[in-house]
Amino acid sequence: MSTAGMRRGGTALVVLGLLGLIALYWMAFFWVSTEVNQGVVQRIFYVHVPAAWTSFLAIGFAALASGMYLWLRDDRLDRAALCAIEGGLVFATLVLTTGPLWGKIAWGTYWTWEPRLTLTLLLWFIFVGYFMVRNSTEDPEKGKRFAAVVAIVGAMDIPFIHLSVIWFRSLHPEPVVAKPDGPTLPGDMLATLLFGVLVFSLLFFGLFLFRYAVEGLRAEADLRARSVA
Amino acid sequence: MNTYLTQMWAIIWKDLILEIRSRERIAAMGAFAVLAGVLFNFSIDTTTTRPQDVAAGLIWMTLVFGGLLGVGRTFHLESQDGALQGVLMSPAPKDAVFLAKTAANFALLYAVSLLVLGVFGLFFGVGPGQNLGWVVLVLGVGSLGFVALGTLFAAVSTGTSMGETLLPVLVFPLLVPMVIYGAGATTWLMNGRPFVEVEGNVRMLGAFALAAVAAGAVLFRYVVED
Amino acid sequence: MTDVVSPAEDTLGAEEGDRLDSNLFGSVVLEADGLRREYGPVIAVDGIDLSLAEGEFLTIFGPNGAGKSSLLGMLAGAMRPTAGIVRVRGQELAFSDTGWRHRIGMLSHRGFLYGRLTAEENLRFYGKLFGLVDLEERIPARLDQVGLGARARFQARQLSHGMRQRLSLARALLHDPDVVLLDEPYTGLDPSAAGVLRGVLEELKDGRRTVVMVTHNLREGLEMATRVAIQVAGRFAWHGRIESVDREDFERHYHEVVEARA
Repeated sequence: MSTAGMRRGGTALVVLGLLGLIALYWMAFFWVSTEVNQGVVQRIFYVHVPAAWTSFLAIGFAALASGMYLWLRDDRLDRAALCAIEGGLVFATLVLTTGPLWGKIAWGTYWTWEPRLTLTLLLWFIFVGYFMVRNSTEDPEKGKRFAAVVAIVGAMDIPFIHLSVIWFRSLHPEPVVAKPDGPTLPGDMLATLLFGVLVFSLLFFGLFLFRYAVEGLRAEADLRARSVA
Repeated sequence: MNTYLTQMWAIIWKDLILEIRSRERIAAMGAFAVLAGVLFNFSIDTTTTRPQDVAAGLIWMTLVFGGLLGVGRTFHLESQDGALQGVLMSPAPKDAVFLAKTAANFALLYAVSLLVLGVFGLFFGVGPGQNLGWVVLVLGVGSLGFVALGTLFAAVSTGTSMGETLLPVLVFPLLVPMVIYGAGATTWLMNGRPFVEVEGNVRMLGAFALAAVAAGAVLFRYVVED
Repeated sequence: MTDVVSPAEDTLGAEEGDRLDSNLFGSVVLEADGLRREYGPVIAVDGIDLSLAEGEFLTIFGPNGAGKSSLLGMLAGAMRPTAGIVRVRGQELAFSDTGWRHRIGMLSHRGFLYGRLTAEENLRFYGKLFGLVDLEERIPARLDQVGLGARARFQARQLSHGMRQRLSLARALLHDPDVVLLDEPYTGLDPSAAGVLRGVLEELKDGRRTVVMVTHNLREGLEMATRVAIQVAGRFAWHGRIESVDREDFERHYHEVVEARA
């Protein structure tokens, strides 16, 4: 895909995503029925969970691109991984903001070692590590390789972290909170949630394409500056 | 295959003989383990907290920080006279180099982890009792996972301008499963619970360690290539 | 290498062609094609081709920052080229393969030695990595060759700088490589070590090894060279056979070439 094509694709996805976001907010605020135990606050769920989903999508995507980068050494793959990680960092930050807001009202505390929240926090640190490694080498190629290794190992570690924090949680029961989960979720809530996942995925890929196009232009500009020099 | 083992063994032997002669890392880690025990003693009010409730957690934290101290320097020592480059320019496969460095670091860290166990037994009067064998096993499996990740990311952080300060930022998030399963299993075992209750944990710890070793063996070549 | 014609080139009679080529000496041992190495925006090596046969000795001169060490690193297979390939006896230096590594020996200004291993142990360690089997005979012989026979059981850190350099030399040549790469080998050598080095280099030449040496010491560089190149800003600004070099006037020529390209 050409850079211009990517920009168009990115624009289309982002516009679609933003329209979807308006629809999602409308659904979350006015359409979906209020959850019985938690009340109105539970509506943040429709932003929280899709954002979490997207940040995991991002690390998976970045790890895939990183692995292929190490194999093929095509800079485009490295740029794809970088852009996915950036998107992932944004959405993980969103999770870490909405989580405590929700938690404060639902559980009376900003932070709780709820497995999904814990996992996202660690994922957030993996994202940050990715950037730190990438920016602290003199040779940019080395930074790209190091960052790729961080993304791959990070993605591989996610299932372990996930299982371990769930197990940890089972040892330390907190005040039981009715959480809509899996098949017990009523139809309209499930529909809103799935719609949210769709909208956030659209936004992620739209922003990803935008960023990717920008990185492509930057690489092109670097190349030109160099051939002139 | 035979050459592969000879090469691995040459590196392991070299690392261990260097450690025996210089005692740099083992001394630093050992002193850290003992002093951490001393500091924990003063930082915990044993009249309100039962040592056996927190001992396992403290043992694992000592292991993590002490391990970082030793494993973090594994390539630093190696690169003083450019020797690592000499190793990398030899026909020894990169995964053999990684596995050998990991094995040597494992020997070092495992020795320290047993020392930590002894120190806590001595200072706090807590011990694994009849579960000693199982605790020693759990510490071994945990140390293996730790050194595998630690060796891989020590190579990464040594290659950056931030050096060893970057290492904890990179490995701590990744080490969470190890700490949860390892400290969890150790706590139960030290409280006299039978091994079958923590078997699942130890299996997960083992899976984690194996995955870390495999990932390191595959990815190490991309870290050290210039 | 197409645009490299310095004013001095005619007077020194460099050969025709745009490649540092040689087929006079028989089979080609070391080849490089379009070697290029970038560090982000910095271009260290900017398209170097060369081809060396058995028994050839190439000395590369150049000011600091000309990319000499990067070139050597790529020839040694220690550094991955951004573009281009290196072949040793026709075999491409692929990073997935290690078979070619025993054909290359490198002596850098760093010794690659472990200070707390004895001279003998250092050699044994590297010998095992290279899969050598006759270490019991080979190591004492090599230590004698560099005049360290009596110091076999001394730890490397207890040796003088010159002795360590000699030990490094023994280490680099332990596996009898076809291609020997030397990065500023004379730097910091005491006279006796320099003498040993000279003797070993003579032997390499007689043994029809292929040698590439990087240095900025003109006298030592010209001593054994069969081919000479001047590297400036990542390229060979001038190259030619030793017969075409006027030894007396080389220094002036060198400075002219460097200044013309700088």
